[in-house]
Amino acid sequence: MSSEAITRPATAAIERRAPRRRRRRPSAWHLLLMPLSLIFIFPFVQMLFASLMTTREINAYPPALFPHHPSLTAYRTVLQESDFPTWFKNSLIVTTVAVVSQLILCPLAGYAFARMRFIGTRTLQLLLLTTVFIPPQLLMIPVYKMYAALGIVGTLPSLFLPWMASAISIFLMRQFFIRLPKEIEEAAMIDGCGRLGVFARVLLPLMRPALVTVALLTVLNAWNDFLWPLISISDERNYTLQLGLLTYQGQHHTDWAKVMAINVMVTLPLLIAFLIGQRQFVRSLTFSGVKG
Amino acid sequence: MAAVARKHSRPPAWRRALPENITGWSFALPASVIVLGLGFFPVIWSFVLSTKATNGFGPEQSVGLANYRELAHDQEWLDAVSRSLKFTLLYVPTTVLMGLGLALLLNQKIRFIGFYRTCFFVPFVASAAATGVIFLYVLDPQYGVVDNAIAWMGFHRQLFLDDPDWALFLLAPIYTWTAVGFDVLIYLAALQDVPQDQSEAARIDGAGRFAVFRHVILPAVRPITVLAVVWETINALQFFDIAWATKRGGPIDATTVIIVYGYKLGFVQGQAGLGAAVACVLFVGIVVLVLLQVGYARWRKLDVV
Amino acid sequence: MKKIPLVVAAIGVAALVAASSAGARPAADKPVEITLWHAQADAAQKAIHKLVGQFNKTHPGIVVHDQLGSGGDEMVQKLQAVIGSDAYPDIAYVYGSDVPNVSQSNKVVDISKDIKKAGFAWNSLYPAGRETATVGSKVVGFPAVIDNLAVVYNTKILKAAGVAPPKPNWTWSDYRALAKKLTDSSKDIIGTGYPISGSEDTTWRLWPMIWQQGGDVLDSANKKALFGGPQGVKALQLLSDMALKDKSLYPDQSSDSLKMYGLFESGKMGMVVTGPWQLQEIKDHGISYGVQVMPSFGGSHETISGPDVYMVFNHSDERRAAAVTFLSWLHQPAQDLQWDMQTGNLPLSAKTAALPGMKQYDAKFTGVDLFVKNLQNAHHIRPPVAAYTSVSVAVGKAIATSLLGRGSPKDTLGQAAKTADKALS
Repeated sequence: MSSEAITRPATAAIERRAPRRRRRRPSAWHLLLMPLSLIFIFPFVQMLFASLMTTREINAYPPALFPHHPSLTAYRTVLQESDFPTWFKNSLIVTTVAVVSQLILCPLAGYAFARMRFIGTRTLQLLLLTTVFIPPQLLMIPVYKMYAALGIVGTLPSLFLPWMASAISIFLMRQFFIRLPKEIEEAAMIDGCGRLGVFARVLLPLMRPALVTVALLTVLNAWNDFLWPLISISDERNYTLQLGLLTYQGQHHTDWAKVMAINVMVTLPLLIAFLIGQRQFVRSLTFSGVKG
Repeated sequence: MAAVARKHSRPPAWRRALPENITGWSFALPASVIVLGLGFFPVIWSFVLSTKATNGFGPEQSVGLANYRELAHDQEWLDAVSRSLKFTLLYVPTTVLMGLGLALLLNQKIRFIGFYRTCFFVPFVASAAATGVIFLYVLDPQYGVVDNAIAWMGFHRQLFLDDPDWALFLLAPIYTWTAVGFDVLIYLAALQDVPQDQSEAARIDGAGRFAVFRHVILPAVRPITVLAVVWETINALQFFDIAWATKRGGPIDATTVIIVYGYKLGFVQGQAGLGAAVACVLFVGIVVLVLLQVGYARWRKLDVV
Repeated sequence: MKKIPLVVAAIGVAALVAASSAGARPAADKPVEITLWHAQADAAQKAIHKLVGQFNKTHPGIVVHDQLGSGGDEMVQKLQAVIGSDAYPDIAYVYGSDVPNVSQSNKVVDISKDIKKAGFAWNSLYPAGRETATVGSKVVGFPAVIDNLAVVYNTKILKAAGVAPPKPNWTWSDYRALAKKLTDSSKDIIGTGYPISGSEDTTWRLWPMIWQQGGDVLDSANKKALFGGPQGVKALQLLSDMALKDKSLYPDQSSDSLKMYGLFESGKMGMVVTGPWQLQEIKDHGISYGVQVMPSFGGSHETISGPDVYMVFNHSDERRAAAVTFLSWLHQPAQDLQWDMQTGNLPLSAKTAALPGMKQYDAKFTGVDLFVKNLQNAHHIRPPVAAYTSVSVAVGKAIATSLLGRGSPKDTLGQAAKTADKALS
């Protein structure tokens, strides 16, 4: 542990100096990445353009790519006349509770499955895995009955409870813990740390990319959840952003411009979260000091 | 005397394992309670429902295994299964390999890398309905960009998603495009702590880029590969949202895979018991497949515990 | 002797006081609260919200809470989930084709007695609406929205092709000829279209073509499929020939027929069979259009009406009565007209259609007056049986297969009839 503390700042200093030299020469990879990225980002750009058009333009054949008279009318109308702030607040609450909960519970379980030998571990893992074998679209009715029995149907807790832990997050953490060299824990335990101490103070800091991954996936799932909130929530004060979209989609007539505007406003926070989160995907040098 | 000393200093095996058992369970319990508590009952309910005949509103009638017998003789069901299997075979390797490839590409310290990474995440974030609308436009036989380009080059316009013979196989790359963000994410995270000194040592020894990839990187990300393959297999077999949003299972059932069929039975045609039976057969199928995959990984020591 | 009358008087007064205070404590001290899931978006949502507000003001004993509930497509799924608990609404907007299925719940009861008590003239409503809201002997709700199918044509395209607009007595041969004339591949214009996504929109358009010839969808006992007979085959053969031989009919695979309407509203399609709901959007796209009744096979110009229903769900006698009171009020001609003016929906009763205010309605929605008159041409409704949805899926598949040139109408409809018979047994 002490050797690591010395190594880190030193190597970090070297790291800080080196990249500047590397970055001055523009990389040839841009030639590949730029067109590929444009293909992948195309739907969002298209959504953005559509949100600046009128509904009539969006519906037209042949479909127009660029708005003729781009205007922010759709955004203005939606923000003025709808309950957008309420929807946003609800989505934010649900997502935040879900992420915080997952970041605490799932690494604990993943670590237990990766490193600890306890009775029933294999069975428990298999049981956890089976919960994802039937797709949620077919399970809405029993899920509803369950939450009704718990007495929380139609409330915000019914929306964040399903996302407070997930099988995929647990297994993701498990796979990442497996890759940790055992020496780190053994060294820490010899130094006298208990299991929990090792976990919290030594291992978790090394798990940043994995934790960010779990966080991003949870944000995505909780934020974009549509079908379950639709079934559970009837009181419009508890609507999330995805449900708010429904108020603009009629049986025979959909106000596409407003729907696109809301879609942009719903997608943007996710992209921002990702942009911030991916910064954590930086090569960690913490291992290099530990060997030997 | 030695015998007495031994009795006092070595408690029985189960006692020795107790602290590990308690710690293990206490770490795993909170998350497991939530996942199993909320996830298990619906699965059991599905099994029970599959033994009934009901439309979800009227009275239920217990019919034992009759729904399963009916499925076994149902040509539409067998067609749906065959479509799902073909789809899975096409989708899984493509997506996992592409995820790894893109992650390697995105694991560089060049300018705008943050922007590039976010771009690849965009389709993952878009809803199935939005994705559907976009691809229906892009692949539109009369007005879509792709067919316009093809016609300009002098070839025949293709029907793409409107073609019953091709629709299913086009949905695979579309699904890949939306789902690969997940694999990129987990591989990117995994690549962050691939042992640097090993690849540098290999490079110094004269190993080419590909050899480094094969002997250093691939083994280091094996546990993630196992997870990715298992997860994408489950996704492929449960494919529904895009098929429903774009083509409602059409044209002429061409994209009616297992869950589309189950959904139609249960929610469009009011045969809830049959729909549940479809879900349960799929459940068993996935259990078998996953056990095979995990077993293989364990046998080949890909997933070291 | 005087004492006794005093005692009697005292008791009498006491009794009177007790009786009057019991009466003064009103049985409905708290107003009856009911929930309405209207499934309406945008302008229609505002319209129903306004109406509910008016009702609540003028009926202090009842409070109606209007909620979206769900989008129309997911309403059945949501009802299925909530019907087992206490959270189901008192009134919910259900698509007509789903009504027989949902009616099987024991929370759906006959409300004809409540309607009589509310003093509503049930028979004043158009027959198609009444019949769709009745399953077997149970009246399960009030018609919410009524419609029918007619042909809307683009007057500019007709002029450019040098053709006169269709006459009220036109036939399917005229329709075919017109579509052929309007198809102009150099301008990327096609004569007409037909949805083949496999949903109800694919299927229900075939029924009036069968009824016009004297055929039917199912037999009178609703146990056997008749749509595979000569009438069905003739109808589908006509559509198929238009699609494959004339190339004047565009088989539209998009969900909700978005592309078909998109093409018409962009001036790329000469005419389209549609309902009054589409008029506003057609107008918004700047298309100048005319409306004509459905063509005939030489006789009847029968069309189809596909009403959606405000289904009533039973919580208690009190709440059910309140729900019926609200719906009765909603269907009074004055309220009906208000609803129609704001949404472009058709009047639900002949009484509404006779109101002087209808003139503004006709002026606001060009061509709607033909749709209102066309309601007289709706004689049959879709078979009100739970298995109808399975029948619809089978026939939808048959139509799609034929229009894509992958099966003759005789074969595909025959196959669908077998599937349907099985589902009906």
